[in-house]
Amino acid sequence: MTEASQALLSAQGIAKSYGPVVALRSADATVQPGEIHALLGANGAGKSTLVKILSGVITSDAGTTSVHGEPVRLRKPTDARSAGIATVFQDPSLIPDLTLAQNLRISRLSPSDVMPWLERMNLGHIDLELLVSDVPLAVLRLLDLARALAHDPQLLMLDEITAALTTDQAEYVFGVMRAWKEQGRSVLFISHRLGEVLEMCDRATILRNGANVADFDLAGVDEAQLVTAMLGEDLVKELSEEAAAESTPTAEAAVAAVSFDTPVVLELKDVRLRDKVNGVSFQLRQGEILGLTALEGQGQDELFQLLSGDHRPSSGELLVDGRPMNARSPYDAIRKGLVLVPADRQQALLPQRSVRVNLSTPLYNRASKWFTLAGDETERVDRAVDRLDIDVRAGSQVQRLSGGNQQKVTIGRWLASGFGTLLCFDPTRGIDIQTKAQIYDLLRELAADGSSIFLYTSELREIPLVCDRVLVMYNGRIVHEQDAKTATEEVMLTSAHGLEEART
Amino acid sequence: MSTDLSSGADVKSDPSQPTVWHRSARYLATHPHLVLIGVLIFLILMTGAVESNYLSINGLRNSALFAVPIGVLAAGQTILMLTGGIDLSAAMIATGAAYVAANQSPKGAAFAIIAGLAVGVLAGAANGIGVGVFQVNPLIMTLAMAGILLGLFTSWAQTIFSGSTRMGDFIRTLGGGSFFGRSIPWAVVVWAVLSIFVIYMLRRSGFGRNLYAIGDNGIAARLSGMRAWQVLIVVYIIAGVFGAIAGLLLGGRVGAVDLQLAGAFLLPSVAAAVIGGTSIFGGVGTYTGTILGALILGVLQSLLTFLGAGQAIQQMLYGAIIIGLSWLYTRISATQ
Amino acid sequence: MTATTPDALATGTQAAWRRWLRRHGWTFGVWILLVVLVAYYSTLIPAFGSFQLASIINNGAPLVFLAAAQAVIVIAGGIDLGVGGMMVLTNVTAARFMEGQPLATTLVIGVIILLLAAAINAGVGWIITTSKVPDIVITLGSLYFFQGLALAVLPNPGGGTSEGFRWLFTGSPRGIGSNPYPAAILISVVILIVAWWIGKTRSGLSLYAVGSDKTAAYLSGIRAARVKIVSYAVGGALAAMAGLALTAIAGRGNPTAVGGNATLNSVAAIVLGGVALTGGIGSVIAVVPAGLILFFLNPILTAMGVDPNRAQIVQGVLIVVVMMVTGLIEWRRRRRV
Repeated sequence: MTEASQALLSAQGIAKSYGPVVALRSADATVQPGEIHALLGANGAGKSTLVKILSGVITSDAGTTSVHGEPVRLRKPTDARSAGIATVFQDPSLIPDLTLAQNLRISRLSPSDVMPWLERMNLGHIDLELLVSDVPLAVLRLLDLARALAHDPQLLMLDEITAALTTDQAEYVFGVMRAWKEQGRSVLFISHRLGEVLEMCDRATILRNGANVADFDLAGVDEAQLVTAMLGEDLVKELSEEAAAESTPTAEAAVAAVSFDTPVVLELKDVRLRDKVNGVSFQLRQGEILGLTALEGQGQDELFQLLSGDHRPSSGELLVDGRPMNARSPYDAIRKGLVLVPADRQQALLPQRSVRVNLSTPLYNRASKWFTLAGDETERVDRAVDRLDIDVRAGSQVQRLSGGNQQKVTIGRWLASGFGTLLCFDPTRGIDIQTKAQIYDLLRELAADGSSIFLYTSELREIPLVCDRVLVMYNGRIVHEQDAKTATEEVMLTSAHGLEEART
Repeated sequence: MSTDLSSGADVKSDPSQPTVWHRSARYLATHPHLVLIGVLIFLILMTGAVESNYLSINGLRNSALFAVPIGVLAAGQTILMLTGGIDLSAAMIATGAAYVAANQSPKGAAFAIIAGLAVGVLAGAANGIGVGVFQVNPLIMTLAMAGILLGLFTSWAQTIFSGSTRMGDFIRTLGGGSFFGRSIPWAVVVWAVLSIFVIYMLRRSGFGRNLYAIGDNGIAARLSGMRAWQVLIVVYIIAGVFGAIAGLLLGGRVGAVDLQLAGAFLLPSVAAAVIGGTSIFGGVGTYTGTILGALILGVLQSLLTFLGAGQAIQQMLYGAIIIGLSWLYTRISATQ
Repeated sequence: MTATTPDALATGTQAAWRRWLRRHGWTFGVWILLVVLVAYYSTLIPAFGSFQLASIINNGAPLVFLAAAQAVIVIAGGIDLGVGGMMVLTNVTAARFMEGQPLATTLVIGVIILLLAAAINAGVGWIITTSKVPDIVITLGSLYFFQGLALAVLPNPGGGTSEGFRWLFTGSPRGIGSNPYPAAILISVVILIVAWWIGKTRSGLSLYAVGSDKTAAYLSGIRAARVKIVSYAVGGALAAMAGLALTAIAGRGNPTAVGGNATLNSVAAIVLGGVALTGGIGSVIAVVPAGLILFFLNPILTAMGVDPNRAQIVQGVLIVVVMMVTGLIEWRRRRRV
């Protein structure tokens, strides 16, 4: 018999915003004792924010949390620990320059506290005098888990713990989770691997756009149903209708004109980088908008670093207009026409400078341009402001603009200075619908004018609206490629999870 | 890699009700030069109160002359601080340049000046390569450079440069002489010309934009295609040249050069930039503010001299000013 | 792949040796370098004996203490340009108040100065953490503040201390002698205590944690601000030790000594000793041979017949080269992450 007041953890109405960006609108989560509870949702749905709030790492703007019916205030990590919550984050919170033993000392644990758990995971023989930076990430995750368990928590939260674990290691983790459940404790399990979720979890809470959309028992549910729940059919239809109504017919018609005769502006042949990019090959033709989608951490960040000149590939060929790029820094890539609109606006904007200065920054990259200000700077900047409809009223410092306007400035820099191929990394993340539509319109116009666009986005529903073709990336490789207009969200999400595309 | 806690994970939220402190701080923050002019006038009046002869052409002229080396050295500090750097070798570069110029004075003023400026170029280039290419911390790099220059010139003083230590006439006129009959010193004119150059560079050149960009967000600057190492080498060379000019003017005013010539001006040059509103974080600052800061320090020096305060008080005061003003500027920018 | 013991965890002597090398190799290397230099020096000086040895240890002690002070602060992620100024300040304060006093009184004064220095520098650390102004700026201010304060305490070189106090640091009542043991023991005891604290206790390890990864430290429940202030306090006390050593050696106080140069040497010493300027890495023990080597360069070059001013240049160039090399290594390490 479990009533709400007997729930192990009950979080109601949790909200968190970062300025104009809403990370969580109103999220609820209830975990019963002796339960393995899954927390699911697409990228940006708010899962990590919720976990951070429940771990006391950040504070919520609104909402209440209670453990065993008692309200708790989680303002710092030690509060969460006292409340009986222990979290294993995706990046282990171990100090890299210290040994394992020293890390334990800092957590006020002795080796005998963690040994029983380490032995369970076949790590009982591990040398605690090793430096954390010498230990592989997978093992560190398991160590972090053992450390969390040694604190004897009521609720264990695991954020993507099985990512990059071998099957053996994952099995150990599952064994531990089951043991925890048998003791009447609970686990909050976050994973993209839907197969694991169905195997291990009893119930699931699904977040979308910062709020709950579903909270149900997992008995008898299959993967397809989970995927549908995460995407939400009705919302998709609504948004695509709205976006379609805002687009211009001529741009759409022009987009269809790319064919085999069109020159290839960018070509990758078996490009590799460390173990993140494992042999990527594709072509981008002039005037084309090529989309890329993937789950978090599948190598897309590194791929864009390669394309923008931030890193050199360890092997493979990267050809721009048929010639090798060989970029030693972003300067070289930009000189060849490849420009980047990064995901993180912090990486593209000069926060204390005005909109106009930001828009004209790339004009002064070459030493020959240092001596004066460009004569046509005003015209170029005006043109970019007009075309993107940038609100310059708060113009003295770009850090005061809204997220949408900031994103427009990020793109506008390249409009002002000229480019060949635009690399966009998640350009519409966290942006309002009107601005999104404007940006997509702009991309289609640019393509129609002859520019080429390579676009990464995690918003699957919007891919058919703007892209010609779409690539899906998983584990550092391109696992799926098709025409964007006919791509369905199910197919894309399925291959993004690395699952077989046994669908019609 | 650590867990990502960025994107605004502040625990406290900003107050939404502006108090008197916030409103006045905001006004001051947008009109900082007004404050500085006010302080300058106040100090001039105070000095006049202590020493009645001060409020004359002669009195003000002395303060201005004292402010010149500070202001010229501070020009280098300002442009470097915009990129997040600093030059603790500036005083040594000045001294070295003066030394070389004095030594070469028998060969004519033009040669002596060029030789002196060459010191600034070479030392500045070394600083720039260390900071820009090898990413050595600017503080450490320039501090070490100061030591290296001291050692070099001390040993060369007995060998290569064992000639004259008196400045040639032309430089002496520039450094100490005036026109309009003892009213406007030539040194001030040189400073004024240099100021115009610096202000133009910072406001109306692509190079100036790049300086602000590097200090404001180096990552964004790099990703937009700027090659920071090039910019840094050039800016450190420019700062080195400014250091050399300061040394020439100072040596010209004093007449005879020794290795302690410019040492006392290093800290004031940093202080002038900080007082003038240049942030050591980078990305914020103007040379106009620095000019006002240098003038303030010049008048302060006169005041302290008339009051009979010693080295001890001066050093403590400078230290307190740097700490206090940086704190103030950080608080003000945080409230925006 | 079903391996549960990947290569990096492999036991066996070869892997263990490679790991030991990576962790302690630099420290080991610096000790070896010191021994080599001393051996070389002994060949240059035919009369090399305990007098020369005592001279090296005694006169190098201030730099060693100052380097230890800087190391503690840098490991916790900060940097203190003011340590040189604190050294001068404690030197003149000690000399002024210890003049003509018996040993017991001078010891009490010494302890009071240590505590005061710790408190004052903790104040500097508090200003840094509260104002959020970078360490470099605040400590640039404190450097000149301390320097000025020193001039106020003792306007001209002078003052004195007791013979017993001098013996404590130099093995001789006149500051010069052939007895290296008191200084060696004093240095060893102090450094070993600090090294034990910073490497074995939770409060000490927190310094590494904060300097290495502030976020992970926060997640482990460590309060970064408090740790920083503690690091500055300990650094202040060690800088005071350097000042007291200086008082014992010279027998008086010198307010005109340039604190900035001493600070630069302390930074060079810690870099030579393997401490990373970015924080979180380094051994306090390794700064002992590093400091001695740095101090030692001048006497060696002089013995080799090199002009002392050239020696200054060599020292400066060496500092820059070491910085550049470590800077490159750091840069390479970060790029690979």
